[in-house]
Amino acid sequence: MRLIARYAKDKGRVFEIITVYDTKVEKEQVRKEEPTIQTLSHEHPAALWFERKMQDDFGIIIKDAFDKRALLHQEKFPKDCYPMRKDFDKTELKQGELQPYNYEVIKGDGVFQVSVGPIHAGIIEPGHFQFSQAGEKMLHLEVRHFYKYRAIEKMLEGKTLQEAKPIIERISGNESIAYQICLRDIILQASQQLLPEVLQKRHAFLLELERIIHHLTDLGFIPNDAGFGAALALGSKLAEDARRKMKEVTGHRFGFGAIDFENKFFDTASLREWLQSMSESIAYFEDWIIDIPSLWDRLDTTGKLALKKAVKYDSVGVVARASGLAIDRRLNPFYLQRGFTLASQTSADVAARFKVRISEVKNSLIMMQNFLEADESRLEVASVNDGEYMSFTESSIGELFMAIDLKEGVIERFFARDASFMNWQALHVMMQHDIIADFPLINKSCDLSYAGNDL
Amino acid sequence: MIKFWSKRVKLGVLTENLEFDDEIKSIQKEIKESVKKKFAGSLAIRMVDSGSCNACEAECNALANPYYDLERLGIYFVASPRHADVMLLSGVMTFNMQPHVLDAYEQIPAPKWVISLGDCPAMAAPFEKTFAITAPAEQHLKITHHIAGCPPSPREIMQGLLEFLKKI
Repeated sequence: MRLIARYAKDKGRVFEIITVYDTKVEKEQVRKEEPTIQTLSHEHPAALWFERKMQDDFGIIIKDAFDKRALLHQEKFPKDCYPMRKDFDKTELKQGELQPYNYEVIKGDGVFQVSVGPIHAGIIEPGHFQFSQAGEKMLHLEVRHFYKYRAIEKMLEGKTLQEAKPIIERISGNESIAYQICLRDIILQASQQLLPEVLQKRHAFLLELERIIHHLTDLGFIPNDAGFGAALALGSKLAEDARRKMKEVTGHRFGFGAIDFENKFFDTASLREWLQSMSESIAYFEDWIIDIPSLWDRLDTTGKLALKKAVKYDSVGVVARASGLAIDRRLNPFYLQRGFTLASQTSADVAARFKVRISEVKNSLIMMQNFLEADESRLEVASVNDGEYMSFTESSIGELFMAIDLKEGVIERFFARDASFMNWQALHVMMQHDIIADFPLINKSCDLSYAGNDL
Repeated sequence: MIKFWSKRVKLGVLTENLEFDDEIKSIQKEIKESVKKKFAGSLAIRMVDSGSCNACEAECNALANPYYDLERLGIYFVASPRHADVMLLSGVMTFNMQPHVLDAYEQIPAPKWVISLGDCPAMAAPFEKTFAITAPAEQHLKITHHIAGCPPSPREIMQGLLEFLKKI
């Protein structure tokens, strides 16, 4: 059973704890006076962040957990402040007394600590990595995030779905289309409507375009982190080409605001030609890069996440597929009929994740040909009904989960779980046989989002 | 490698916006004095993300691709605030990031400037004020120049950096 998400809701007198697995959804209620739940982290280590988040957001006490440190609330966050409770309405916080954070460290003769972040030595998002080192060898890594915590869950409460849309599409810039599609599915469920196939194809086209932009960027950056800069020049050129195509078809380089219910004009003939030339470029790229032995020397066997561990940590997305797991939200008739094939590798290392990305770009280009259709139909969205809704999308990183409760037409509770939230928790497992110089390479091969993780 | 070089020759030079080269040539005269003194001929930027959606960072990374190739203008991103002249600040200044942003600013040797990037630091993006957001950034730092956009395109960022150079 794969854990997908675990989160709480403030229901007046009680907290409701929702646990979402791939096969079922479990609900549990606890009284506010005694908000104690049993941890799931012994069976599902990835439940830990969900539970620590609940503890910070609502003050829920997690029984038998081996880690009860604050997650979102960092050193200067005021004490006993539970912002996701309904009665919390502050928009300003004063910095509280400094509470030192105790990192998980390994101590011993000659073992030392390397602290990296939150501000990193590049153009990259903030997050902290704490290494316990024995010389070059990484003994342990603790990933500490939530520097970008913007309290988006709270921000969206009380808004209509229309008002929430511009914010939801900006949660994680690289996955904007995926977030918009998750929201689209919730709007459709709430208005009990079906999406015309033409629109479905248009949206799927944009989602694949977003995926190839993201993958092409990584196909440049991963070799670059192994010291092979020429790949970055070519990869970033191709990514820019795709990014400009996104601008051409949606009017925005990241597709903000692109998923709506109108099928605007697509110049299918020129897009087909472009897709063809992209396919040739990626074929050239693959043929060229596969022949650089010194590069593969770095990528092969580095950063392994064995299948057993990938299952244990409930990994998703590119990381899971590179470890041999068949997890992809596109495994459904709509995609399968249009040429979807699951990219899969079993070597579970950086090389595997690199190869999965190449296969996915190639497969996306094929599917995009099949998604193209000249049609200008539209859908009038009916009014939405109150209720509890959930949706899933396969973003460029992996499975994205979103849940929205509507009450009196406005959002009562918003919850989103980015694929990164699961995979960050498995990152330390990949480091156990490598040296610290491999860390940037391994981290980049997963290319996880900080913004989507921190919300 | 032969494959690569034949591709390289076929593709030729991809760099665009050559007008920026002319522009920098023309403003070089006017900024010569100050840039020579303050920046020793080149501008070093420390990018700090204080809670963006990562789109601004993606566009800054795009500045290095063959189409824009920012470094040819003598403007480049550095790894440490101690090597920087300018802090390029993106994001909504989260409660959790604020102390670190101010720390990084402290570490930049004077004279130093802050350029805010994108709509977030000015609270002009769709995000609303919550307890976890401390933007607008100008409440905490003196902002010399603002590059608007959500996110600003690489071209707009280049344009903005040149405007900043003219300004100081």
